[in-house]
Amino acid sequence: MKKNYGQIYTLPLTLWLTVFFTIPILIIVAISFFKKGLYGGVEFKLSLDAYKALFNPLFLKTLTSTLFISVITTIFTIIFAIPSAYYIARSKKKDFWIFLIIIPFWTNFLIRIYAWIAILGNNGLVNNILIKLGVIENYVQFLYNQWSVITVLTYVSLPFAILPLYSTIEKFDFSLLEAARDLGASKAQSIYKVLLPNIKSGITTAILFTFIPTFGNYAVPQIIGGKDSVMVGTIIARELTVMRNWPLASSISVALTIMTTIGVLLFSNFNKSKTEELRELKRGIK
Amino acid sequence: MIGGELIIDNVSKDFDSVRVLRNANLKIKPGEFFSLLGPSGCGKTTLLRIIAGFEYPTEGAVYLDGKNIINKSPNNRHVNTVFQNYALFPHLSVFENVAFSMRLKKESNEKIRKKVTEYLALVKLEEHVKKMPSQLSGGQKQRVAIARALINEPSVLLLDEPLSALDAKLRQQLLIELDAIHDEIGITFIYVTHDQQEALSVSDRIAVMDRAEILQVGTPFEIYENPANLFIANFIGETNNIKGTVKNVDDDIITIETDSFGDFKIFKDKEVSIGDTVKVTIRPEKIRISRERPTDTDLPINVLTGRIDELIYSGFQTKYYVTLDVNGVTFKVFKQHIKYFMDDTPFSWKENVLIWWYAKDSFLIEVK
Repeated sequence: MKKNYGQIYTLPLTLWLTVFFTIPILIIVAISFFKKGLYGGVEFKLSLDAYKALFNPLFLKTLTSTLFISVITTIFTIIFAIPSAYYIARSKKKDFWIFLIIIPFWTNFLIRIYAWIAILGNNGLVNNILIKLGVIENYVQFLYNQWSVITVLTYVSLPFAILPLYSTIEKFDFSLLEAARDLGASKAQSIYKVLLPNIKSGITTAILFTFIPTFGNYAVPQIIGGKDSVMVGTIIARELTVMRNWPLASSISVALTIMTTIGVLLFSNFNKSKTEELRELKRGIK
Repeated sequence: MIGGELIIDNVSKDFDSVRVLRNANLKIKPGEFFSLLGPSGCGKTTLLRIIAGFEYPTEGAVYLDGKNIINKSPNNRHVNTVFQNYALFPHLSVFENVAFSMRLKKESNEKIRKKVTEYLALVKLEEHVKKMPSQLSGGQKQRVAIARALINEPSVLLLDEPLSALDAKLRQQLLIELDAIHDEIGITFIYVTHDQQEALSVSDRIAVMDRAEILQVGTPFEIYENPANLFIANFIGETNNIKGTVKNVDDDIITIETDSFGDFKIFKDKEVSIGDTVKVTIRPEKIRISRERPTDTDLPINVLTGRIDELIYSGFQTKYYVTLDVNGVTFKVFKQHIKYFMDDTPFSWKENVLIWWYAKDSFLIEVK
């Protein structure tokens, strides 16, 4: 008799995820369908109030702005991460560069965000340097707007994009770039037509690792953001802790989770079908 | 197509102050099948990469049809390369791999389809157009690489050890096909290899390289029969080396005295004087093995006696390692089996035999 050891080996993880992941999510889903309690908590009466509130124009505006910030952050992150990962993969001191990328994780996440206030603040490093150099006369307000949030979110996401890209690029056969050049491709063409298609899996992972955490981020807009950069995550936190509207916080969370899941599914399907489509196209030519 | 004329003019290359190529000079004729032959690390691949444009020479120039091309980027040279590891694009089908350079030039689909089909037919891969590189065998991959490089109609095709990853049988077959393709399209081939058999069998001319230098340039016949130095004699095929001192010089025969087995005669193909220290080489297949002294020749010959120490039968020939009675020097003797069972009774291990060769079959390599 062959025993299925797989289930036994994964039992601890299954238990862990059930207790600390699946059950909490089910609780959130449940809360979202109840009535708001007077002083926080819920009244156990079924209600769709929390979902009706989602169609509030103010919330939809926040959602659009969150989407905008997440998309721009993802684009910036990927644009910075690909060359960095490429450089590290070709460098002789790979370990050193990887080490530098991992170092920030030794510091608390919040402290790293506060450090950006010291850099971009009105009395911060950048302003002081620019004033000393005579580029500007008075300090410029860098913080508390959409772009400061995007800057810091990009910073936060970079390691999560660089690491998967690095591991893909490291496996890439660089002689393919020489072959492309040999066959008449310019440097840019060899990157675009040969490198990028061959590291697509790394790019996909990097995009997902950047977009999903950014979309649900709450600390960065809270600390660095202003009125124009309220994100969905901020609202969830506010509804939960300040407004004490648990059902609304939950319904937003559920909506966020569903949107992200659908987005991820569409994205990975699109990636797959596009490859398939290209193959079909090539068959068509013959 | 017309092949390009390539001139390597005093090219040197340093990597981190190590000279990997020293004053290379070559003139490769249009349409020639030219080989760069040498052990690994001799600089042959570096020279090829300089021609392709992947390396920039520290000194010197490369002229293609009269124009210095060292400042041109690889995509602007009328030269294409077949890489050692094939370097096929894994994300593209066989068809798209071959079409790659035409797609860059934005040729029409119709034109691309026609030409790709033509070149895939040239390398006998018509049936595999739709496959991805990962679905091909090593030999098929190399054919795709060859078609992909040729479709650009380069005036020079560079081949960087293109067969080294294939097994011996396939290597032989592809080599013959490569030679046929060369004859058919007539462009200049520059073939880098460390395998002397490959180089000898297909090249019009060969440049033998070692330790960053070109040692000899010549036809396969010249390289094999008249190697410029001991390194080449030993690198190209197998040989027996004899060291000695010139004892006597006649009109066309030199007598050389050795420490190990007395005197022997050699044809005078270089000027020597009595007392010179010389090195002589004699190819194993030119030495005969027998039980009796040869009587049917008037030409000067050398005869030695010894015992068969080792005997390696390999079908078409047998290799004998004959150790001389005096001083224990071992000679390699290769006997071709031309007539099945019609040779004399086979020689056996530990048998005492005579070995002999014509004086004109051995030659002087180094004179000091």
